[in-house]
Amino acid sequence: MAAELPFTVEPGAQVSVRRRPHTSARRVLADSFRYFGLRHQLRRPLMFTVLVLLLFVCVVTVYPRAFPDIAATYHSGYYVAIAIILFLTVWFANLSDAIAEAQGRAQAESLRSIRSGIRARRILPDGQVRWVPSDVLHVGDTVEVRPGEPVPLDGDVIHGAALIDESMMTGESEAVTRESGGDKTSVLGGTRVLQGTVQVRVSAARGESFLDRLIRLVEGLGREPTPSEIALSVLLAAFTITLFIVCLSFVYLADFSGIVTIDLATLIALFVCLMPTTIGALLPAIGISGVNRVARANIIAKSGKAVEASGDLDVLILDKTGTITVGSRLAVQFVTAPGVDAGALLEAALLSSTLDETPEGRSIVRLAARRNATARRLEPGSYKVMPFTPERRMSGLQLQDGTEVYKGALRAMEAYGATMPEPIRRSAADAARQGMTPLAISRNRQVLGLVVLKDVVKPGIRDRIRELRTMGIRTIMCTGDNRLTAAAIAQESGVDEFVAEAKPETKLELIQREKTSGRLVAMTGDGTNDAPALARADVGLAMNSGTSAAKEAGNMVDLDNDPTKLIEVVSIGKQLLITRGALTTFSITNDVAKYFVIIPAIFATAGASRLPGVAALNLLGFGNPLLAVLAALVFNALIIPILIPLALAGVPFRPRSAIDLLRRNILTYGLGGLVSAFAGIWLCYVFLGFLLGVPFFHVAGVFVAHWLPLGGR
Amino acid sequence: MGFDIRSLWDIFALVGIVVALAPWFGRYLGRVYMDRPLAGDSLLLPLESAIYRLLGTSPRQSMRAREYMLALLGVNLGLIAFLFLFLLWQAALPGDPTGAPGLRWDLALHSAVSFTTNTNFTHFTNESQLSFASLTTAWPVAFFVSPATGLAVAAAMVRGFVRRDGTLGNFYVDMVRSLTRVLLPLAVLFALILVLLGVPQTFTAFVTAHPITGGTQTIYLGTVASFQSASLLGSNGGGYYAANMASPFANPSAVSDLFGTFVMMLIPFSTPFAFSTIVRRKGEAWPYLATVLIVFAVAVGVFIAYQAAANPLVSGIAAIGSQSNGYPVGQEVRFGLSDASLFQVASVYCNVGANNMQIGALSPIGQLDLLFGMFTQATPGGVGTGFGMLLLFGVLAIFVGGLMVGRTPEYLGKKIGTSHVRWAALAILVHPAIILVPTAVAFLGGFVSLAGLSPGASAHAFTSVLYEFTSEAANNGSALSAGQVNDTTPFFNLAGAAVMFLGRYVPIWAMLMIAELFAKEEALPPGPGTLKTTTVTYTLYLTLFLVIITALIFLPVMALGPLAQIVGGH
Repeated sequence: MAAELPFTVEPGAQVSVRRRPHTSARRVLADSFRYFGLRHQLRRPLMFTVLVLLLFVCVVTVYPRAFPDIAATYHSGYYVAIAIILFLTVWFANLSDAIAEAQGRAQAESLRSIRSGIRARRILPDGQVRWVPSDVLHVGDTVEVRPGEPVPLDGDVIHGAALIDESMMTGESEAVTRESGGDKTSVLGGTRVLQGTVQVRVSAARGESFLDRLIRLVEGLGREPTPSEIALSVLLAAFTITLFIVCLSFVYLADFSGIVTIDLATLIALFVCLMPTTIGALLPAIGISGVNRVARANIIAKSGKAVEASGDLDVLILDKTGTITVGSRLAVQFVTAPGVDAGALLEAALLSSTLDETPEGRSIVRLAARRNATARRLEPGSYKVMPFTPERRMSGLQLQDGTEVYKGALRAMEAYGATMPEPIRRSAADAARQGMTPLAISRNRQVLGLVVLKDVVKPGIRDRIRELRTMGIRTIMCTGDNRLTAAAIAQESGVDEFVAEAKPETKLELIQREKTSGRLVAMTGDGTNDAPALARADVGLAMNSGTSAAKEAGNMVDLDNDPTKLIEVVSIGKQLLITRGALTTFSITNDVAKYFVIIPAIFATAGASRLPGVAALNLLGFGNPLLAVLAALVFNALIIPILIPLALAGVPFRPRSAIDLLRRNILTYGLGGLVSAFAGIWLCYVFLGFLLGVPFFHVAGVFVAHWLPLGGR
Repeated sequence: MGFDIRSLWDIFALVGIVVALAPWFGRYLGRVYMDRPLAGDSLLLPLESAIYRLLGTSPRQSMRAREYMLALLGVNLGLIAFLFLFLLWQAALPGDPTGAPGLRWDLALHSAVSFTTNTNFTHFTNESQLSFASLTTAWPVAFFVSPATGLAVAAAMVRGFVRRDGTLGNFYVDMVRSLTRVLLPLAVLFALILVLLGVPQTFTAFVTAHPITGGTQTIYLGTVASFQSASLLGSNGGGYYAANMASPFANPSAVSDLFGTFVMMLIPFSTPFAFSTIVRRKGEAWPYLATVLIVFAVAVGVFIAYQAAANPLVSGIAAIGSQSNGYPVGQEVRFGLSDASLFQVASVYCNVGANNMQIGALSPIGQLDLLFGMFTQATPGGVGTGFGMLLLFGVLAIFVGGLMVGRTPEYLGKKIGTSHVRWAALAILVHPAIILVPTAVAFLGGFVSLAGLSPGASAHAFTSVLYEFTSEAANNGSALSAGQVNDTTPFFNLAGAAVMFLGRYVPIWAMLMIAELFAKEEALPPGPGTLKTTTVTYTLYLTLFLVIITALIFLPVMALGPLAQIVGGH
């Protein structure tokens, strides 16, 4: 009999629906104002402080007579300007949150729209079929899905096989096969059956499915700050408290020592400028967008913490099959043992694989069929399937007449009691050396020959593994193949280490070993066997096509079933941390420039000519102290929206060594922060001066005169 | 006294000797706290065991941060109480030839805290206000206990990186070994060298001289050599004479000046190597030593440049003529500008606080330069605690830097989490608080009056108050003492005592807590993705981080003080 899939794949059946996130400008704007509310502000103490100061400035502006102390320096226009800029500072911060959340929401919306109004054909326990809305389905219910119909909820195929279009969920245009038994039973709610009819047992109730989790995640519900985000917030808070003490003592010291009287609004401007408002404003957006980027890569991360942890990984345990190699090994060649009829080998190969549902088994059947092999018809009950077990490491059939047909690894075959002819052993070794997998085929303990399966290394995998090494991440390839096969693939792909002849518990042992020596380990997996290891790994990326147990155990699920995504996840995690660190550094070096503007401006109001030592700090040579303070404050506010795209997209990241990254980021964001602040404040000053009717040439002239002794000083 | 560029060679030679000895001495220092065989064990181990038995403790009894801190506070509070009572009742003690009366209670408290916290900021004049016993017995006890406390804290903190059980060692054992293996032997050795260089060492309190100009002169003598040796070695800084190292008896020659500088720098510059020895990573000392050297070299260079330049206020006056040195007032002129400056900068930067110059007469930039050393208090800072501060700066720098390389930050394989950041930030940020708040209170409360002073003079008086609280907060002890400010009032005594106490024990508390956090963690093996700290990039980054953070916090007051003093030129 010729093995056949229960349906044929037609190219025309492939459907591609790419969801496209779009943000509604009006909603973003509304949110940005709604976030002025206390509930939102209290979650971000840094911006809340600015808001309180804004209210204070407003009160003083409206009712200056209540504050007789500031009467000497009060200037209504100046106070109004300060209030406006403080308002903008908080608003820009709100805006960054609103945009980041809108991006996530847009993704959630397009996901939700997939599922509206799905009805399902429920199979009652007595076998009756009834149409019900998907809302009323419970975990454990069975539904039947026919070609053209959507799968109502997440579940496992318990009967039949189907070709399913998952493009609306995963963006992957190629349809996937789902069938009962084995590791490819899982179907997602919202996907559409193209061919074949399947019975599906519902595994997740409405609201609990992976789709729901994704929607919740990208909407930011239940998102809590990650450990390094909290630590950074603590550092920023401590810095802010210190600056508060510095500024407060400064005003009293200046006043009471009689050196200079500092205006209240100027003091607030100084404090706000020095506060790390840039990073403080963008910190939540960075976190949200990190999760969004993961979601955009079609990965459901169950926590933001897992995304962050993926930046720290030291070791990736990669399955050979599917990750490093294209996927299933395919039969490419039969080798007949000396003195054995070729037809006998083919027949045995067919018999041993006819009921083998694995891709390898099917490929053997297909190859045998192509060689015109014929098999006798098997009556139901006349045989016993001996499935592959990790212990036996062989699979085959036991017929009623006592015939045993097996295929399996050479060593397993020998353990089973078959003697291996020398030429077969040689051919097997040759094949294995080329990275191929030889399986011996036996009938009644007599080895008839080999079937050779070939594994193809994915294009580009070598480069990605090299990139990982640059980032300091070690890769371990894990495979059930024999040492020779594994070594050949390992060499071809460039992994650092490999484990051959792995049993299901090998991954768990590997993870334990790496973890006890303190390393952070990630792995991918899809089988139920993988679940304990997925749960134990620091980052466990489960394949969406895998079993529910695997998906429950992992802390991320890849909807595209592409194990190489693990490498992308590492980059996203690193980028998340780098963006935080870079913007913190940027904030700090910005402060240096702001100091050199505001401190001399403060003293200038008291007559800078009397204090040349302080006047020398006026590096930009600003002649109008009030304008200089406003310019610094405007720059401080404007830099927030300017950096929103960077916060949302993450800083550009390419795999490099740690010290190289440090050098580059210090130069880019440290030095860049210093230079851009000086340049930015100068531009703001010129522009404000222009607005206030001061001729541009005058302002530029003051600047030039400061540096060139043209007699202007 | 003109400035001779060749005199800079003294500086290079001395710093070169210190840096050359640092790895060797640092390794010894590290082994003192590692329970390893050491030279002198046969003699000292039985003695130490006897002391442990007497104290009822054992080297095997390892303490957690809380126990360690309580033991430390016990010893230190005990010393404060002892010194307080001693100074209060010094007149009642028998056999004192000086006849000095007891100190007023607030002054006694200030002095007791000052000596115990390794500050040695004095609000009295030794010669007229301290009895012979106070000067030669009570004070020197503190000279040993306070740096031993500092060394013990550093040892406990560093152990946090190599331990896994959450304990930091035994405080009493660390104290005893600091004394028997480091401070006492070195103090004796250096005292003998000072005697050879001509410093008096006698039990005679004073001699009366009959100069040819007529009249009589009281020349105070005593155990000057041993006093100065212990004072400089342990970053104490108290002077046997009020003039401290500007007195020709304490500091008779250029050789003793350079030797004194060496004694001050030895332990602080070697501590990074003690650290690398204990954590068993040879290279880890260099980023810290390099950071310290960069900041220190710039400090010395700027100091000398501004001291050597003409004072614009004076150079404009024709009657004075041409000037070879703009700021000669208050300088110890016997040693030349370079050697005197090196001593002064090393003294402040090593948190010793001994003076051989009148700081109030320095150029404003010179004053700012010294203030900066006390603002960081980590380049290299006092014995033990200075390196502890530097490590805390390192932890914060690695935290931000670690983020920039895309990993949850870790140092020596130990992750830096929220709690670590909280404690490190507390230690570094308490410093400006206890400087700025009391300074502001001094002006707000009217404890300093600047009425009728010119802006320059106001700024000078302001600098004086700022300098005083900075010196106390950093446990430095150096004083600027502008004439316009009377700091011997109860306010300055009590506020000063509080500042010194907080400035000493809050950072120590934070250091021990952070060490315990590290000590509880499993150490991760270094991987290629880890931020390598033994690189030039990291070293420069640490230096910039330390300088920028310090400057950001203190620029406003620097503008009000030293910068506002500049009334012409520089």
